[in-house]
Amino acid sequence: MGLIGNIAAGLRALAGRTSVEREMDEELRGFLESSAEQKVRAGMTPEQAVRAARAEMGSANAVKHRIRSTGWETAIENLWQDLCYSLRMLAKSPVFTLVAVGSLALGIGANTAIFSLMDVVMLRSLPVEDPGRLVLFGQGRMVGSTDSLPDGSRDLFSYSFYRTFSQKNQVYSGVAAIDSIEFSTHGSLSGAMSEVTTASLVSGTYFSVLGVIPDRGRILTDADDKAPGAGAVAVASHRWWQRHGSDPAAVGKTIHMEGTDYTIVGVAPPGFFGATVGDVPDFWIPLSMEKQISPGWNGLDNKWFQSLYLIARLKPGVSVAQASANTNLVFKQILRSDYVSQTPSQNEIESIEHAQIELTSAARGLSRLRVEFSLPLEILTAIAGLVLLVACANLANLLLARGAARSREFGLRMAIGATRSRIIRQLLTESFVLALLGAAVGVACAWNAGHLLLTMASSRSDVAAMNVNPDLRVLAFSLALTVFTALLFGMAPAIRATRLDLTRSLKHGRGIAAPASRISLARGLIVAQIALSLVLLAAASLFLRSLVKLTSVDTGFNRQNVLVFSLDEGAAEIPVDARLVNLEQRIEERVQRLPGVHAASFALFTFNQGMWSNDVTAQGIPRTPDNSQDVLFNVVGNGFFSTMSLPIVSGRGLDAADRTDSPKVAVINETMAHRFFPDGSPVGHRFGMGDNPAHSGDIEIVGVVKNAKYVSLQESPEAAAYFPYSQHAQYEFNFEVRYTGDAAQMIPAVRRAIAEVNPNLPVNAISTLTEQVDESTANQRLIARLSAFFGLLAAFLVCIGIYGLLSYAVARRTSEIGVRMALGAKRSNVLWLILREVLVLAAIGIAIGVPVALEGNHLVAKLLYGLSPADPASLFAAIAMLIGIATVAGYLPARRASLVEPNVALRCE
Amino acid sequence: MAQKSGDVVQGTLEMLILKTLALEPMHGYGVALRIEQVSNGVFRVNPGSLLPALARMERAGRVKSEWRSTENNRRAKYYMLTAAGRKALKDETHAWGRQTAAISRILEA
Repeated sequence: MGLIGNIAAGLRALAGRTSVEREMDEELRGFLESSAEQKVRAGMTPEQAVRAARAEMGSANAVKHRIRSTGWETAIENLWQDLCYSLRMLAKSPVFTLVAVGSLALGIGANTAIFSLMDVVMLRSLPVEDPGRLVLFGQGRMVGSTDSLPDGSRDLFSYSFYRTFSQKNQVYSGVAAIDSIEFSTHGSLSGAMSEVTTASLVSGTYFSVLGVIPDRGRILTDADDKAPGAGAVAVASHRWWQRHGSDPAAVGKTIHMEGTDYTIVGVAPPGFFGATVGDVPDFWIPLSMEKQISPGWNGLDNKWFQSLYLIARLKPGVSVAQASANTNLVFKQILRSDYVSQTPSQNEIESIEHAQIELTSAARGLSRLRVEFSLPLEILTAIAGLVLLVACANLANLLLARGAARSREFGLRMAIGATRSRIIRQLLTESFVLALLGAAVGVACAWNAGHLLLTMASSRSDVAAMNVNPDLRVLAFSLALTVFTALLFGMAPAIRATRLDLTRSLKHGRGIAAPASRISLARGLIVAQIALSLVLLAAASLFLRSLVKLTSVDTGFNRQNVLVFSLDEGAAEIPVDARLVNLEQRIEERVQRLPGVHAASFALFTFNQGMWSNDVTAQGIPRTPDNSQDVLFNVVGNGFFSTMSLPIVSGRGLDAADRTDSPKVAVINETMAHRFFPDGSPVGHRFGMGDNPAHSGDIEIVGVVKNAKYVSLQESPEAAAYFPYSQHAQYEFNFEVRYTGDAAQMIPAVRRAIAEVNPNLPVNAISTLTEQVDESTANQRLIARLSAFFGLLAAFLVCIGIYGLLSYAVARRTSEIGVRMALGAKRSNVLWLILREVLVLAAIGIAIGVPVALEGNHLVAKLLYGLSPADPASLFAAIAMLIGIATVAGYLPARRASLVEPNVALRCE
Repeated sequence: MAQKSGDVVQGTLEMLILKTLALEPMHGYGVALRIEQVSNGVFRVNPGSLLPALARMERAGRVKSEWRSTENNRRAKYYMLTAAGRKALKDETHAWGRQTAAISRILEA
């Protein structure tokens, strides 16, 4: 019959069970009849013959069963029976099923959600050709531009370095440059309404180095990147193309951005999001257009303007070590020939000595998200894993108790011929059904949770665009997790439950077979749960306390009641000169006149928006280690300090006297005042940017303002200087309004006022200063919230576990308790007897958990603010909580035990 | 032992069935009866072993079956050898011959 015949016969047997059954009956009957006839012929009476033939055959059902089990389909039938039986058993005890499925769903769902996030952020390879051969120069941590001579590991490079390096390179088949900043601007497609558009500036080699084939049209080439301003072409991302109706005629159309028309020459393939995970630009534009996209940027002709990431593809046969050696050799050659004079200073020689390019794999692309999230994600993965373990331990305990309660059923089944392995299989099937149900619910929840987690962690719009729905890999992970989970919680109880003394288990309704070992396994599980929960709760309280400390940090400014409008002055095509200053002043005046507005001001930065910093030299002040650290700069309107509620400590603030043509002034903060002028008032002193003493008299200090936080809440006090925008004309990205009253009415009023001054000035987004501060701690809040949630979940599971174990123990010891009470034990004695058991378990669990928690907390030290990882308060809080939980969970069964009536209990036996 | 009928030697049932069916197609009881008669009652094949063995061999493609009417005009399932069954019989007979010869040599040594 062969394999195919075998399969066909099996399927036939499965499909036509009744006809197969009938044939078997007929064959058996025929056998019996022939056998009886033969015996009659041999001399028996017909009755004797039939009885003898039946006796020879034995149970017809047993024979049929043996015939049936020759086919593979029987295994499926058994499985099917087990499944049906499992579902029936689970439906019979809905509370147990609900608790089991619920806790598994949370455990598996949490792990799936976090793994899918991890997959997107950290594990997935770039969708390009042979991503394993791509290397990134540096770590890709820095964003923006730097003008210093490389000293140490370098992330950002200049355009001229990229060009020279490409020529001298011997180890790469190609080198590509990507601007570290993704530009957000307004674009208009063939004269249509303009909308927010993002563009990534890349070298002409970008697509060919990555090995990306365009979906339609062509990719950028080196020819587009030949001369400054000569490559007004763009490749659209597939997402942008789809957003614009998947127009088949899109290639050839023009997109108008920042005053220049770009011809769309191609569309990138679907799924290609660029080299940076989490940032999907709408367009890729040649670096030759840098000045057109961002007028302040002059990387094309200034070798000190270092703002590019470099990605290169290794030549076949070249190892990373060889490439690294050659890259650093060429790097230092170029530094020596192009970046320092013939006779470099001692400082410069040392810098070049230290300078190096650390090659990192670019297989998974660049990712700020990865840098931001890898530690939090690893911690969350660990937390979710621990929760799943707690859930497994809990479930194992519930199954143990259930197995004990069902020992009579198992005894009966074994007595009528079921083998032990058959029952173990049946019990494991039940575990798998539970795990699968839990996984189904969990994955369904995780489907959206990944996104939720991401938006909780970051409000950046491009993050929201990432596809974090679980893909096949994630589903495979969940499935593996489910199987593992089912085995973990199902195996021990199944083996334990079937280790039966048949006669005893049938005699007593309650399972008392091997009670001591079963109880000790259950106790071990409870101890493990308590220890794991302690680790989780200790971490959670640590994160919560750290978050409270962080959010109560004095920012310096008053974050309440300030609206922040993010404007795109570049899109309005206003020239960067006195006209821009005039526009900004008119908007400020107009908005300030609105009722309810206290102050309004433009600002380059508000909080946590990046930084502009440089060396500063003050006239007549010797350089000290203290005052040679970078000073942070901001360019603001006259109303900035009152908008931020930053009081002037001495001198004056910025005012109308500071005009374009008046002497340059600055207001500095207390830290800068202290670092440069520790002994006297800085007002009236002068300073300049850079370390060149010739410029030290450029800017006069007119006032000192209170310190404020600049980039993050964690930062130590930084020296800062504020310049009036009238003297530093440039696009300002923020317009801040301090108001009282209803924000919902204030926002349209301010927008109207802006539009009245210039109807072409687009408002990109509106937020509040409070939101900006909160956003800066998004990571910490995410971790604090999730770890608290998981910690409580684990504690709740422990509660169920303890309650279940004690209820079972009390039921078993009813007669013992009866005897004790009959002999004079008081109710309080009994209560204590039971509670003591819980507290002993809790104490053991805590004793195991404390060192683990202390060790584990060291791993999260980096994410803590103002707290030691061994913070005793957090640990005590966790311990107190666990003891509380254990007492509560133990009290109910203990009380039940203390209410036992001695004569009733004794009559039971 | 010779007077009492017993079970067939372990592992040889399939070979005996194959050999029996090599003569002509037979129904289940026919096979049992033939083995008992030919072995002079030494081997008695229980239906509880015989029918599952036939089912197993059918699955393995060594025999095939067909419903026919018997000499008494009753419907019965007749089993017959396939080509694979004939080959299996040859192989097993050969292997069995070598084993018994070896066993005899050991016992006579």
